[in-house]
Amino acid sequence: MKIAHHAHKDIVIPNSTRHLVTVRQAVFDVIQESGFPEHEMLRIALAIDEALSNIMEHAFETENLKAELTINLSLDADEEKFEALILDSGKEFDPGEIESPDILTHVASGQKTGLGIFLMRQVMNEVKYTFVSGFRNELRMIKYAHDFKTKGATNAGTQDHYQNH
Amino acid sequence: MPELKITTKIIDHDITLIRLVGFLDAHTFEELDVVINDLFEKNIHKIVADLSALEYISSAGAGVFIGALAAAQENSGNIILAAANENIHEVFDLLGLTQIFTMTDSVETAAKAFECNA
Repeated sequence: MKIAHHAHKDIVIPNSTRHLVTVRQAVFDVIQESGFPEHEMLRIALAIDEALSNIMEHAFETENLKAELTINLSLDADEEKFEALILDSGKEFDPGEIESPDILTHVASGQKTGLGIFLMRQVMNEVKYTFVSGFRNELRMIKYAHDFKTKGATNAGTQDHYQNH
Repeated sequence: MPELKITTKIIDHDITLIRLVGFLDAHTFEELDVVINDLFEKNIHKIVADLSALEYISSAGAGVFIGALAAAQENSGNIILAAANENIHEVFDLLGLTQIFTMTDSVETAAKAFECNA
């Protein structure tokens, strides 16, 4: 019988997309250790991959500093809830300001990018963004094992919370 | 082991197969972009993407197919996605792309789809 318990992992990620594969594996490890439903594993890893890819692409403007910068990722899970906290010191970026695209229009225009935040919302129950002025971006994403426990969220949508401090 | 391996093969006189093995994400998507653009430059616009050995795709990877679809169709071609496993199929489903792309169970079916529309 599988013993489920709280699983936690902190990762400092160099600002390079080549580390995404390692992050996805860390998400798998935490979920498998925690007892959170494993059928959600790939979707959650995808949502975190999208969030990190977005930060790596957009948050750090100074090209020569990009490689030196890091992103902090904290993963917590138990049988009921998976939570990821992503901290970066890049420029303020509020994913709540990005509207979900109309996919037909998006494809017709041949746009290659701009679907990551949409995917994050599709997968996670809560996406909470906080900008600590002059300091850092905090992105907290939560997935519940049973979606009905998500207060105020619809089946199809994510509950977004965005705060500036 | 490389994160993404791409091979191409002509499977009919004007249909090219692109086989993807591994992970197609924000780190590797440009490799596929280069391969598809190279085919376009050779005036090859009928493309079957064999996804049977693709283990993972993110929006960056799907974006390559999105970016290429219109160009292929404008040149009497198409990009048909073949043999995607359940996980890959789910990502296309989450993005709403299963209604846009032709997705087939096998490479053979994809090739026949081109022949039927020839």
